[in-house]
Amino acid sequence: MEILLAIMIAALTGCGVYLILRLRTFPVVLGLTLLSYAVNLFLFSMGRLLENAPAVIGASELHADPLPQALVLTAIVIGFAMTAFLMALALRAWGEFGSDHIDGRTDELDPEQRP
Amino acid sequence: MLFAMVALPLLGALLPRLVQPLGRRSVAVAAALPALLAFLLLASAAPAVIGEGAVWKASLPWLPQAGLALAFRLDGLAWLFALLILGIGLLVILYGHYYLDKRDPGGRFFSFLLLFMAAMLGVVTADNLLLLVVFWELTSISSFLLIGYWSDQSAARKGARMALTLTGAGGLALLAGVILIGQTVGSYDLGTVLESGDRIRADSLYPLMLSLVLFGVFTKSAQFPFQFWLPHAMSAPTPVSAYLHSATMVKAGVFLLARLYPALAGTDLWFVLVSSAGLATLLFGAWMALFRHDLKGLLAYSTISHLGLITLLFGLNTSLAAVAAVFHIINHATFKASLFMAAGIIDHETGTRDIRRLGGLRRYLPVTAVLATVASMAMAGVPLLNGFLSKEMFFAVATETSLYGSLHWLVPILAVLAGGLSVAYSLRFVHDVFFGEVPPALAAHHPHEPPYFMRAPVEVLVVLCLLVGIFPAVFVGPLLAAAASATLNGSLPEYSLAIWHGFNLPLLMSVVALFGGILLYRFRTPLFALQRSWPRPSAPQVFEHCLQNMIGAAGAVVKWIDNGALQRYVAWLLLPVALMMLAAIASMPDWLGERALTPVDGLAVLAAVLAVVSAVATVLLRRRRLIALLMISVVGLVVSLVFLRLSAPDLALTQLAVEVVTVLLLMLAMYFLPTRGTIESSSWDVSRDLFLSISIGAGMGLLALFAMTHPGDTISAFFIDNSVPGGGGKNVVNVILVDFRGFDTLGEITVLAIAAAGIYALLENLGLCLPLYDPDGRRWARERHPLVLRVISQAVLPIALLVAMYILLRGHNLPGGGFIAGLVTAVALVLQYVANGVHWVHARVPNNYHPLVASGVLLSALTGLASLLFDHPFLTSTFSHLHWPLVGEFELASAMLFDLGVYLTVVGATLLILARLGKLSVVEHEESY
Amino acid sequence: MMAHMIILPVLLPLFAGLLILLEWRQRIWLRRLISLAATAALLPLAGYLWLQAAGGEIGVYHLGDWAPPFGIVLVLDQLAALMLLVTALLALPVCLQACRGEDKNGANFQALFQFQLLGINGAFLTGDLFNLFVFFEVLLIASYALLMHGQGAERARAGVHYVVLNLTGSSLFLFGLGLIYAATGTLNMADVTRVLMEGRLVSPLLLQIGGALLLLVFALKAALLPFCFWLPGAYAAASAPVAALFAIMTKVGLYAIWRLWPLLFGHEASPLNSLVTPWLWPLALLTLAFAALGVLSATRLATLAAWLVLMSVGSLMAVLTLATEQAWAAGLYYLVHSTLAAAALFLLVGLISAQRGLLADQLKAGNDLPPSLAVLFLILAVVLVGLPPLSGFIGKMMLLQATPDAIFWILLLLASLLSLIAFSRAGSTVFWRQQKDAFAERMAVADLIPLLLLLLCTLVMVLLAGPLAEAARGIAVQLLDSQGYVDAVLGSGRALP
Repeated sequence: MEILLAIMIAALTGCGVYLILRLRTFPVVLGLTLLSYAVNLFLFSMGRLLENAPAVIGASELHADPLPQALVLTAIVIGFAMTAFLMALALRAWGEFGSDHIDGRTDELDPEQRP
Repeated sequence: MLFAMVALPLLGALLPRLVQPLGRRSVAVAAALPALLAFLLLASAAPAVIGEGAVWKASLPWLPQAGLALAFRLDGLAWLFALLILGIGLLVILYGHYYLDKRDPGGRFFSFLLLFMAAMLGVVTADNLLLLVVFWELTSISSFLLIGYWSDQSAARKGARMALTLTGAGGLALLAGVILIGQTVGSYDLGTVLESGDRIRADSLYPLMLSLVLFGVFTKSAQFPFQFWLPHAMSAPTPVSAYLHSATMVKAGVFLLARLYPALAGTDLWFVLVSSAGLATLLFGAWMALFRHDLKGLLAYSTISHLGLITLLFGLNTSLAAVAAVFHIINHATFKASLFMAAGIIDHETGTRDIRRLGGLRRYLPVTAVLATVASMAMAGVPLLNGFLSKEMFFAVATETSLYGSLHWLVPILAVLAGGLSVAYSLRFVHDVFFGEVPPALAAHHPHEPPYFMRAPVEVLVVLCLLVGIFPAVFVGPLLAAAASATLNGSLPEYSLAIWHGFNLPLLMSVVALFGGILLYRFRTPLFALQRSWPRPSAPQVFEHCLQNMIGAAGAVVKWIDNGALQRYVAWLLLPVALMMLAAIASMPDWLGERALTPVDGLAVLAAVLAVVSAVATVLLRRRRLIALLMISVVGLVVSLVFLRLSAPDLALTQLAVEVVTVLLLMLAMYFLPTRGTIESSSWDVSRDLFLSISIGAGMGLLALFAMTHPGDTISAFFIDNSVPGGGGKNVVNVILVDFRGFDTLGEITVLAIAAAGIYALLENLGLCLPLYDPDGRRWARERHPLVLRVISQAVLPIALLVAMYILLRGHNLPGGGFIAGLVTAVALVLQYVANGVHWVHARVPNNYHPLVASGVLLSALTGLASLLFDHPFLTSTFSHLHWPLVGEFELASAMLFDLGVYLTVVGATLLILARLGKLSVVEHEESY
Repeated sequence: MMAHMIILPVLLPLFAGLLILLEWRQRIWLRRLISLAATAALLPLAGYLWLQAAGGEIGVYHLGDWAPPFGIVLVLDQLAALMLLVTALLALPVCLQACRGEDKNGANFQALFQFQLLGINGAFLTGDLFNLFVFFEVLLIASYALLMHGQGAERARAGVHYVVLNLTGSSLFLFGLGLIYAATGTLNMADVTRVLMEGRLVSPLLLQIGGALLLLVFALKAALLPFCFWLPGAYAAASAPVAALFAIMTKVGLYAIWRLWPLLFGHEASPLNSLVTPWLWPLALLTLAFAALGVLSATRLATLAAWLVLMSVGSLMAVLTLATEQAWAAGLYYLVHSTLAAAALFLLVGLISAQRGLLADQLKAGNDLPPSLAVLFLILAVVLVGLPPLSGFIGKMMLLQATPDAIFWILLLLASLLSLIAFSRAGSTVFWRQQKDAFAERMAVADLIPLLLLLLCTLVMVLLAGPLAEAARGIAVQLLDSQGYVDAVLGSGRALP
């Protein structure tokens, strides 16, 4: 299981990083989303893995490390807020300089696409 | 008393500005007053300092840690310079009052002048090297302001900038040198430094210190090769030139030579650097002076040459030379200042300073003519005038100098040559201006003598030249003795101040110089031709040119490093990470630790493969937005499954809920953003990105594996033990969130609230037109609210709300909690938006979410605040179990209120964001139909 | 009740911000009133906390009454107190300036402003690594929104760059935190150090990578070359009050490094010690040089100011890596000076642009400007270039004395020379080269008050240089004593159940 998780983390991180390095806003947003998935899995894995051992008193005798889970929860929420803001920013940028290029470089878009 | 002397002009600098409304006369008076008081203070010190050769000191601590103190000392040397600064300063103020045009703002002028006066006094009386630097730089600043006084003239601005740049650079070098000296000596106190000259000279850094200090000196005193700023500083009003650029500021450099003479002088290095710079400057200045057509230009270059003479004298490393130098400082200040004022008068009365357009002025300005003639005779070193005496001394020293080894005869020769040149240009100044026939243009101008008080300063100075020249022992003897002994920091050499030393070599040299000079002037025409044949680049042009190139280069470098491309910025940020990862992989630890692996089954493998594939697919299909979105949501789904499988139900639920909302967001965005774009990454970029992403991905994966298989003890045992007794909740994760680490959660929901508020502000008055076709050219559905969706959504709403409540309440003990509940509610409400449109919803739900968000966070925060009332720390939780009918055993924890706050915030924030995004489209819909 | 004072710097802006959000639409005067009151209240509060900390003993606040390392703690030592004080000194004038009308150019300004303060103060106070992350996010999201305040294409461009870079940084931060937790099994700063000293690391590798990632993120926030490219654009694009407030932002990154240096990065027992230290020194010098070139090539006053901020970052990072008492004392003095002075310059630039219409703050000859602005510009130039007798000179002098390194000397002196040139050109262009037909608008004195407040601070720094340097020395001493910090934080807990 650990190995599978590691592979997943590797794949998500890699794809996320690659997407963040694209030139258009939308892929960058996707990339950050992927990266945050990867981060959450990574952070979670730092508490080491346990099966059928939810950190609920009485539900089982063994308990997975609850702290990383709590951290991940916080991270998810914050990540959500950030993604939302970036999304809005992308729209604002598109509105401001008629291009979804991350540096605002206006490439030759067909006119009916301009805001 | 010393403080007062420096402080008077400093504080007085404000006066002229304040009294400006009262008229020009009062401004001048306001300026003269502080200077006069300071002068009287100085005079009162004369008997002690000059008479008994006492040294007055006064000091206050300022920054002892750095060795900086407000320490002042008044010894002979300081007194001499203070005399020049205040005496000539007073005369300049008087002169300036008449010189300045009615339209010029006198207040500003005199304020700067006093500021400069204070700074200069500080330089000469400072008893702490750092303090000296402080005032040193102040003189640069104030001179910048004075040169640029007529700021509408480009020449003035350029001259001012050039002067500031050079003297500023010098100041910085001086600072460095001074700190080095201080760190060698262990103190910045002047007395101590002067005492420990041997240690300084012995230090290995001595050459560095010396050159740094000398750089400061040479730039300030316009020594070759830094002389070029001075002539262009002449675009300043003439009083400024007379004051700063002949009598005082440029003397600051040579003053420093005198001041640090005991500490730094006496080595061959000193001799080579100082004397050769002096000699070069002496000749260069004298030569250039001869060919200037601008009166002030001529005087400027002659000033340069005389400063060179003084520097040379200090450089000769003999105490007699030092005495001569000090003497010449006094003389030069007197005659040069008077000459500048004379030039100013001529300019003032004839409207020109060009020698070629002047002539025969003695008919119109007889008195000025006499004064100027006498002063320039002093400059030329004609007997019975002060210039002659110091020049004699110079020649004497020059002949005696045995330095330069086999070339020792060179110095006297060059000295005579320089003397001759100075005679020549003095002659030119007098003869071309006051004698010969009057140019018609000038005659038409009807020049006449200036108002008496404008001429008075010149008279005073010229009389001084004569008195010193004729009765040196009486008028300058004690002062010179005091100053010189202060310079040498000890015993004086044998010297006599007499006009007549009998027939000797120096006298011969003077005679040769005198007649040589006359000849030079007589046959100047060929010389002029020669001079004209040489290229004469104008300093400011060259300077500005270099500066422009420098700026251009700087800009180019900056552009080259920072090309404004985000892609590169991110790459820079990720590069170290990639390298770290590679290093980690290379270091090859045991990736599989001792901890036993948890078993794998087909389902898990399938899920993992699915996640990996769809992640890669997201990358590959990123241009097919809808599909990419689908793929990424698959990834998110698998992630939440992983959480579920690995005993993190809360995470699974949260991940799922967030997933839904995020996808909704992305869809909205995707709906607006353009689909086609032509700018793409270059292949090099792609390979770079592949390198980064692969190495980072692999590294993170391996690190995760490493960490997962190497167990270590953590603090979380505490949470499991204290969850029920301490937090009153069975769901440890939730208890951590709302209790153990509730502060984090408070911060987290605040982030959400801020994001909502920020997005609201961000999207204000943003109009986007909707693409009518989707990427594949299909028309977006025209029907806005499909019926099915509408029905379902309305049915779903109440159920969803119920579920949310349930999740919220049980959260403390079973998986769930405010955040998940909030998202569920939000999703349900959003469904209403999607199904029925904004108007329909707003008609029923108040769309004013700001207060909702705020009150959510407020509720959580107040719950935490309540504990303060019981003097428990913020967020201290409390709980009690109570029995409700029907519901049964039910627990009420303050933490649940906290969680309720979380719930409200999440609902509010999500709706605020989505409604805002939804609004965008609504606006447009109405337009596009 | 006095014990609870420590948390007020966090709660005050939090509640202020929330109240303003409640009153989000109507009654701007009420929003301003709340904001001003809260900001003004920070000042005496910070002063009180400063006096508390100046004694030398470290105040620890257990949130939720859970003892460290299990609960989150706020730690008030002299460094934290100093940073709080600087923030408060900075915030009040900026808030005043914003209330002069800038806050009307967009929604929710005052609320976001308060949240920004909340994040900054929290970051200075917290003693928990993950909590530090949370407060970083708070101040970042607030700064994203504030940067975009007033909108416009330039801001959008700078905003996208700033946000994407920092979001990437946040992910790295989390990776780092995870690794540190995996390596030490704890999140409390002091506890991490204790684990370090007791050699209970799971593996040095995990801590090395984790710590290095954190350092990287802080370097991004502090704008160290080559992670500084977001800075000039963002600071130059932001509206004057926002840019002025941002003057403290880079210092937050520096603070984090400073805080963790004795505990983690530079700790002799730390596997990071040999890993990171060699890198920072050259990067700091390069930053300094790069910023100097930027200052010289600036074509707008705001850009000039932004590059100056970067310059201060370079020199501060350099002395930080020296990790000696003298160096840190000098650095702390310089930090305070550069923050306040840069903020003042941003405010002044705002006033100047307001007077020059379309020309705004470009370095071109424009209309006549009120002499008051010219005088203020001159004074600020003297302060920022580091000419005597103002705080810049003192700071520079202390830096030089504390740094026995030729290259640093050369770079710092060259940098000040280049900024001298830049300022003389800028000043003579903007204030001296004026078209005759142009007009000079009257300045309302009220517009100058915020600026004057900041200048007053720098002036005080000059007059009280001696005592302040002494205090800085005290801070450095306390900071270098990592053992003392650990004992104070972990010893403060009640007996564990």
